Amino acid sequence: MLSKTDLDKLFNPRNIAFIGASENPFKWGFIIVLNILKGQFRGKLYPVNPNMTSLLGIPCYPSVKAVPDSVDLAVITTPAKTVPALIDQCGEKGVANVVVISSDFSETGPEGARLEKDVVNRARRHNMHIVGPNTMGVYSAGPRLNALMPPVAPLDGGLSMFSQSGNVGVQMLYWGNSKGLGFEKFVSSGNEADLTCEDYLAYFGDDEATKVVLAYMEGIKPGSNLLDVARGVCRKKPVLVFKGGRTDTGGRAAASHSGAMAVSSRLLRAAFRQAGIIEIEDSQGLMDAAKAFSSYPVPRGNRVGILTRGGGWGVITADICEERELVVPSLPDELIRRLNEILPPFWSHGNPVDMAANILLEPFMECMEILAEWDGVDSVIALGGSIQGVFDFDAKVEGTKELKETVVLAREVAREYTTQHDVVLDHTRDLVDRTGKPVIAVTLGDYDGFKSDLRDHGVVSYSTPERAVRALKRMVDYRRFLDSPVEL
Amino acid sequence: MNILEEALKRGEKTLSEHDSKLFLAEHGIPVTKEQVAVDEDEAAGIAGEMGYPVVLKGSGSELAHKTEMNLIALDLRTEQEVRDAFRRLTGHSETPVKEVLVQQMVKGDRELVVGLTRDPQFGPCVMFGLGGIFTEVLEDVSFRVAPLSRWDAHDMMEDIRAKKILNAFRGKPAVDREKLADILIAIGKIGLDYDAVKEIDINPLKVLDGMPIAVDALVVLDDGK
Repeated sequence: MLSKTDLDKLFNPRNIAFIGASENPFKWGFIIVLNILKGQFRGKLYPVNPNMTSLLGIPCYPSVKAVPDSVDLAVITTPAKTVPALIDQCGEKGVANVVVISSDFSETGPEGARLEKDVVNRARRHNMHIVGPNTMGVYSAGPRLNALMPPVAPLDGGLSMFSQSGNVGVQMLYWGNSKGLGFEKFVSSGNEADLTCEDYLAYFGDDEATKVVLAYMEGIKPGSNLLDVARGVCRKKPVLVFKGGRTDTGGRAAASHSGAMAVSSRLLRAAFRQAGIIEIEDSQGLMDAAKAFSSYPVPRGNRVGILTRGGGWGVITADICEERELVVPSLPDELIRRLNEILPPFWSHGNPVDMAANILLEPFMECMEILAEWDGVDSVIALGGSIQGVFDFDAKVEGTKELKETVVLAREVAREYTTQHDVVLDHTRDLVDRTGKPVIAVTLGDYDGFKSDLRDHGVVSYSTPERAVRALKRMVDYRRFLDSPVEL
Repeated sequence: MNILEEALKRGEKTLSEHDSKLFLAEHGIPVTKEQVAVDEDEAAGIAGEMGYPVVLKGSGSELAHKTEMNLIALDLRTEQEVRDAFRRLTGHSETPVKEVLVQQMVKGDRELVVGLTRDPQFGPCVMFGLGGIFTEVLEDVSFRVAPLSRWDAHDMMEDIRAKKILNAFRGKPAVDREKLADILIAIGKIGLDYDAVKEIDINPLKVLDGMPIAVDALVVLDDGK
């Protein structure tokens, strides 16, 4: 059985021996070294290449055994057939973990599978663990370890991810950057010849710095104890899994891609649900859910208050809520009376609270506050709080002098207004902290402030109510799981 | 418990409907009242005691598809109808039928399905869904890996598209979900406790005054070879 300390040296290594380090900018032996250096790895890097004495000004060693220190982590990028002998050398050196970037193993056929078995057997003889082979690498924020193939520099944050597809996983890191979602740890699990997804899940479960676990998975190996592990982890923190190979066609593709066993996808998904894993159906949905889970408290129940500036969006949001079994409760008289004092007489007098085209910020914030503080709801969706860009009048209007002057004035007012956008955001976050309820902003319109909303103001915002409700529903499902009794 | 062992000893691949239900009943699953008759008089006697209407079914471990083989006589309301049906079922030319099952006729208002399957990865798994002829057409079923917690059992009822069928409708009471959960949990436990049970198919599990009851059941055996 794997102990936590085994993987500590993978995610928090004091140093790295890079076997296959290269000067050729078209080789992974160069690109990954560059990523490690650019990432400002806090430990020491020992490039290994028998044909060089230095690489980018760093001393290079002829073999891992020549490195003048004990080695925590080795990364190998050399061709598959050279790997078994290198594993022995690492083992003799006492290396704790090896990341085998090299491909051409079990993913390519029986010959590669034999080679892979050989690699694993040798590693086990030396009590050493293997990531991969055929992995796109490892990332860990603590030691600033960025041993990844693509040049992506993830933001800091509480998400940790394992991915059975390097490309899918790495794309999440890229999207995280554009959406403001930060990562604590990441591993592309490759062929999982030795370390498997359940090892990573168990580690992330125990890892204090990991707040939410993300995964892209295609399948589990026979005899896997992933679900037992998941049952424990899911009680502690949310585990969001994007499952590939759900259909027969996708399943066939998965079998040839990651060699995923033909475990009935249906059973696997049922088992996920039993274990408390939150299954996500699409890639954007994974990011959307990750955002909500990592930034907001899990709502206490399924009752939603909806605030909107326009009736139609309120209707749409109420529809999606009901379709996903979220409840949009009616407002008590007392609440209606309070809202009457703020809103024009023609407001909706119900939930959704339709402000009826009132564009002022103050009443919007007051309504949001009244809804969030009402003990009849567990969460709030606020649509159209952002008026950024909406009143961006074109100053080059043709017409009378008076018209032009009025437009210039309107433009200034609108600008002033836009700067108050931050006030709405900070108020939103304040409500989340005060009430312990998610208050999700839906921006509608053209908007590019999602990253800033999240990172500068701690506010979860989405472009459409559909995305907001889907993410919220995941949290409500997770609450249901957390509230379910533990049976032994 | 020797229904299983005796059937295995006889080299049978499935339990007869009657033995399947005896086995399930021993594990707390409600089944129809029924008795085996070997002659016409016995059948008439059982029916009289049970109360009409009754159903007659050809009995035997080899008779798994009784509807297709026309070995069922439904809704028999008089002794004469029972006697006629007995003669028809036992006089079947292609399939020799020696025994006939005399069974309480359960009208019921909803048909569900409950089953046990075995998966190489997850072991015994419980299946639940819409029963009767709709099982195959609509494929509206959900699965859970055994053992099932009570929460799992309730959650899998929520997991089918047609879950509203479990609620009260047309003057009929809602299905007793706790009783249904008992059945789902019990099926999972059978899967864990008996390696010799390869599959279970309860279809239909009918609902009578809110209570689920197994009307037809098949236990498929695994001789371990």
